[in-house]
Amino acid sequence: MTAETETLRAETRAWLSRNTPAEWRQAMTNAEQERFVEVQKDWFGKLVEAGYATPHWPEGWPGGGRSLAEQKVIFEEVARADAPRLILYFVALYHAACTLFECGSDAQRDKYLPGILKGEIWCQGFSEPNAGSDLASLKTRAERKGDKYIINGQKTWSTMAQYADRCLLLARTDKSGVPQAGLTYLLLDMKSKGVSVRPISQITGDDEFAEIFFDDVEVSIDDRVGEEGAGWAVAQATLASERGLTLVELTQRMRYGLSMLAQTMKDQQRTSDSAILRDLGALIPKVDAACALADQYLQKRISDTEQAGDASIVKLYYAQTLREFVALGQRISGLEGQYHAGFMRGATQETGNWTLDFMNSYNWSIAGGSNEIQRNIIAERMLGMPREPKNWQLAEGQS
Amino acid sequence: MSHQTGVSDESGELLTQLRDSVRQVIEGTGLLGAEDHIWKPSVELGWLLNAVPEELDGLGLGNTGTHAIHLELGKGLSGAPYLPATLAIDALCQSTLSDKSSWLERLTGGELVTAPLADGDLTLDDSQNLDGTLTAVQSADIASHVLAWTNNAEQLLIIALDQSGLEWQERKTWDETRRFYDVNLNALPLAKQTRLAQGSQAKDIVTRLLAQRDFALAADAVGGATALLAMTVDHLQTRVQFRRPLAMFQALKHRCADMKALTAASEAMLFDALHSAAPEQKATAAKHLACTSFAKVAEESLQLHGGIGMAAEHPCHLFLKRALLNVHLGRGGDMYEQLIAEAFLTGT
Repeated sequence: MTAETETLRAETRAWLSRNTPAEWRQAMTNAEQERFVEVQKDWFGKLVEAGYATPHWPEGWPGGGRSLAEQKVIFEEVARADAPRLILYFVALYHAACTLFECGSDAQRDKYLPGILKGEIWCQGFSEPNAGSDLASLKTRAERKGDKYIINGQKTWSTMAQYADRCLLLARTDKSGVPQAGLTYLLLDMKSKGVSVRPISQITGDDEFAEIFFDDVEVSIDDRVGEEGAGWAVAQATLASERGLTLVELTQRMRYGLSMLAQTMKDQQRTSDSAILRDLGALIPKVDAACALADQYLQKRISDTEQAGDASIVKLYYAQTLREFVALGQRISGLEGQYHAGFMRGATQETGNWTLDFMNSYNWSIAGGSNEIQRNIIAERMLGMPREPKNWQLAEGQS
Repeated sequence: MSHQTGVSDESGELLTQLRDSVRQVIEGTGLLGAEDHIWKPSVELGWLLNAVPEELDGLGLGNTGTHAIHLELGKGLSGAPYLPATLAIDALCQSTLSDKSSWLERLTGGELVTAPLADGDLTLDDSQNLDGTLTAVQSADIASHVLAWTNNAEQLLIIALDQSGLEWQERKTWDETRRFYDVNLNALPLAKQTRLAQGSQAKDIVTRLLAQRDFALAADAVGGATALLAMTVDHLQTRVQFRRPLAMFQALKHRCADMKALTAASEAMLFDALHSAAPEQKATAAKHLACTSFAKVAEESLQLHGGIGMAAEHPCHLFLKRALLNVHLGRGGDMYEQLIAEAFLTGT
């Protein structure tokens, strides 16, 4: 920790204490989605103005040019202030912007980045109904016709796509060769003719995700990022943009969330129940360890000593610990926790509404590379265990 | 400051040398090296000086150095009484004993003052006599004295093992890698013992010693889990069934990945605790997580070894038994969760 980062910490903390929306969870409980979008827009505007939304952007951009160590301080303080997460803008600020910075052309940067700062919402069109963990097998087609691509197909699990202005699209331009080689990365206007969006109603009552359907949608070749067929490498850059930072924020939030467990114990008069105490005592070191893992992982990124699999360990351990955490909250809250307490839009992972939290915890064990995928990465790339043989053929007629 | 160690570069280099020296010795002896094949070098190569502050002519690497050594010793399932020896040396360094330096010279020169690795029940009665049992005292047979403190932590003493009113006997544990003794004290006059501290000073030192014991056991567990996981992956890579190495089966790979995550988490937590502003407050959590994780890794590893894991000739069981014992050393297996939870609730 240097004097500069500590100054930044003090400034950020003071700013957050003045500007964090008060009682936002109450306001978001059973809220109409329009109200949620309003609150997100408002919060985004404030963060952009203060420079806290774009610390990872290069120098010269508003708020940009912050080191990873400084970005970490900002994420830690946002967690400490228990501020809302910028769910609506995360893809724009991180995935879209970092893809453009790393792989985009000057013309693309000039065209799109100012819009992001003004609040344009982006979504990600990667996953498909039959391409989840096996992303490279995706089938949405992009056919070249003159200076355009014609898109046909379907994407799913696209966060906030129903509000998005633009989409980061990974589509297939070539069916021959290995699956990764035939992918191309495109920037698609969601208002284009032939795009339709259907929100997915979730088990929590929220609908943060949507399906996107493409029916002969036209995308200019000027909106291709990288070369045709280089989409897989560009997508890796997209996915790497926020690696580590989100987990620092989430693990810190989990540590602050422990006080909610203590509150539930008090509410349920279980503070001297030794069975509950022991479960809490078993959980606390795991929460501490998840924080330490995320912290040390980011230190490795800062000092450029990251190894393959390091990120997977942090995510797997966080997802496992989070599940134990919310399961304990759910258990302590007893029958009370089973009465419907309303759903909460944009809820963080620990809200004290434990049955909701329990359901939401699957976000982290499924999305962004499921626990099973993380285990494969750890086993193969860290422990050097072999891959499964790839000679399996589906029976005739199956796909 | 270096990100890797959190210590200055100069002591970072010293730390690397120290760790390498332990590694070399452990590689030489192999798993389960004979006790004095490790104990002698720990005297001769200056490992014991690690715990001694610089102003007392030690290396002054403190917890960081001790942690590095315990981790390496844990990998090799060392039986040397390095842990109790460093506790006694640290207690001496913290004390205001008048002939501290001559004691230190003896202790860093190879005379063993051992210590209990679990909580005992030593009390001082009204006529100033000591009664009770010190438990899990390591290698008492080769020690001259034992470090001891009363239950209320108001008396911190060094007690000679060859005096009347004191008896010790070996308590054979399932863990064959270390030797433990019970030391019984029967109306032992306080006045005849070497007192390191009393009252609040003693309490402070005992708090520090308990944390150090926790950190040492945690490091031992992280070392053990690391070595055992490597051995297990090795076994799965080598053993062929159904015409493929077992390591190719995803069901087994995923269990190894979980073991890797457990071990990495324990190590990260321990590192974080040792470098935090108030390490003592995190010692119980670090110990509990590392020891329960090692036990889980050991439980899984035996299963993944299959039949050979049940054979005495294979070292798998040695790790399992050491892991199970480690859980119960220190404050006692079931105590930790309660202690951690109560400390947390008091703070909220």
